Amino acid sequence: MYAPATGQAKPLEEEVITEENVYERPDETIAFFPKQVLYDLFVSTLILLACSVLSYVAPAPLSEPADPATTTYIPRPEWFFFFYEQMLMFFPGYALIGFGAVVVPTIFIILLFALPWMDRGPNYSPLQRPFATVIGLLVVITIVLNMLLALARIINFPGA
Amino acid sequence: MAELQKDPMTRGDFLGFGVLGAVVGAILTIPPAAFVLGPLIDTDVRGQSDVPSGPDDWFEVAPISEVPAGTEPKVFTVEFPVEQVYGKPEIQEESGTSSKEFTVPSAIWLSWEHEINADGTYGQNLRPSFLDGKSEGLSESEIEEIQSTLNVLSSSCAHLGCPVRWLIREGEGEFLCPCHGGIYNINGEYVAGPPPRDMYSYDFEVREDGIVYAKHQFDTGGDNGPQEPYVI
Amino acid sequence: MIGRIRSQAFETGKFLTDWMEHRTGIVTMMEHFLYEPVPKRGAWLYTLGSATLFCISLQFLTGILLLFYYVPTTDHAWNSIYYIMNEAYFGTLIRGIHYWSANFLLVVIGLHMAQVFFSGGYKAPRELNWVVGVALLLLVVVLAFTGYLLRWDQDGFWASVVGMKIGSYSPFVGGPTIRFLMGGDVIGPSTLSRFFALHVWLLPAALAPLIGAHLYLLRKHGVFGSEFEYSDRLAKLHERERLESYEQYEEDEGEPFTGRRDREDRE
Repeated sequence: MYAPATGQAKPLEEEVITEENVYERPDETIAFFPKQVLYDLFVSTLILLACSVLSYVAPAPLSEPADPATTTYIPRPEWFFFFYEQMLMFFPGYALIGFGAVVVPTIFIILLFALPWMDRGPNYSPLQRPFATVIGLLVVITIVLNMLLALARIINFPGA
Repeated sequence: MAELQKDPMTRGDFLGFGVLGAVVGAILTIPPAAFVLGPLIDTDVRGQSDVPSGPDDWFEVAPISEVPAGTEPKVFTVEFPVEQVYGKPEIQEESGTSSKEFTVPSAIWLSWEHEINADGTYGQNLRPSFLDGKSEGLSESEIEEIQSTLNVLSSSCAHLGCPVRWLIREGEGEFLCPCHGGIYNINGEYVAGPPPRDMYSYDFEVREDGIVYAKHQFDTGGDNGPQEPYVI
Repeated sequence: MIGRIRSQAFETGKFLTDWMEHRTGIVTMMEHFLYEPVPKRGAWLYTLGSATLFCISLQFLTGILLLFYYVPTTDHAWNSIYYIMNEAYFGTLIRGIHYWSANFLLVVIGLHMAQVFFSGGYKAPRELNWVVGVALLLLVVVLAFTGYLLRWDQDGFWASVVGMKIGSYSPFVGGPTIRFLMGGDVIGPSTLSRFFALHVWLLPAALAPLIGAHLYLLRKHGVFGSEFEYSDRLAKLHERERLESYEQYEEDEGEPFTGRRDREDRE
């Protein structure tokens, strides 16, 4: 009854492949439904199951009610802010705190927005545009290293 | 689908768009902006504050006799009232049903000033010696001496506002911030780490009955730089 | 008997779908959505994007549910969450999903972004989809930040103190920014109201249309997974270009191409 679009109904062989249209259509396609939907559903189910199990194994935290007058509580950021928090260690003093905490991240975000216009070459493969790949890897490594540094500092804090 | 039909825009149409757009735009931008930015207008433009800091708004911290005599601070909690949005006293009074006062409990470290040696170790404790014998009925000159040697420090780290703690390492005590390891000495002076300035000290006064009073106000001028503690 | 019921049910179903199709065009639209060809080889890579969408949907759903019990005031916020966690039916699960899927969301959003970055998926004509994606990432991070304070527990409170204090160091706008966030010049009841308004209404209201734009642009330009989806076509292109360069050589030199020169170049 259904006639799934496979993308192969068109006469592909007659098409002249040029620099312009080479990326218009992948070599092999599948219909979004059912295969891709099934894959998506599989991953979503895994996530939902993990969330449900974790809800009971490691319930969402709720610490003591807020007390602005505490002197024993140790504030710790959530894990996804670890790298950012660690970065603040490297920028002491009035002149640098604002620079490290606000200016550097802002510049990074602007560069992130501008990425498509900075890397305009015709190549897609990460191996054929080494500059972008190396920068990307450096960013990932910096973030992971900073996370580990923050973790080490938190574990070694006296009295923690 | 029908063909697109592109009629020309007349001068009247243009005027209509301009006038109607201006009316709708003005009503939907200016009042909402003022509505949302209200607290900013109050604090930055009209110079108001959520913390009462008039001439009578002194709050009791502790009797002077409870400040440790040695090289050691002690923390006291003061509940400064906060008159913010629906918590303003006149509104609380108006409603009659809710009289709960909103406060910011603030931790205040009290200690005696110490001389600091060149190598950073503590020298002489400057605690006035007359306090050994009495703790109230102070004379004006005694009050003055106490006020010049008492440290009244906010627990909020000058770096990112975490609560500092007193930690003794190698015999010498120091204030340590648990967040990024900022270190201050007993006088609240910056020693090490990322903080840009000394700890904030409260505006305070000592009265004849030997009790320390503080205002929810800090030393933000002078050498300590312009940065306000804000948050707490 | 059973055969008649089945054929009647089929008739009714066909009538209803035809009726809906005639009035809304929904069947055509669904076919358009469901039967689009997508690249085959990287199919599992594309689940990162849909997993992000799924996590955000979970956030919306469980967030709305939590609002049935949550109270955004300084004296009741903590109590209401304590109630959700200990008394409400499945409260642990609902809040647990909200909490854990927020964590997973940040993981999959990072992986999704890395995948697009390293496969060059942001290149023309998909630049704007990357821009919308970065905006979505920022919104999600701010949502994570504002949601933390709503618990009004030690963790959330102090993280927000530190976060706002960081904001206060912004050049020129630092002070006004955090007085705007705090709703005054000190943290208090107004701060919680504002974070609540941002977390529950303003940011999700900004997030939803951007997700729509992200999906629209995705469908408009199609998925770009990785270059390996196109290796056959690239091979054909290079083969054709090579043949053309031989023809060009023969035309220019007036002699048949033997391939020797090609080999010399390579050595």
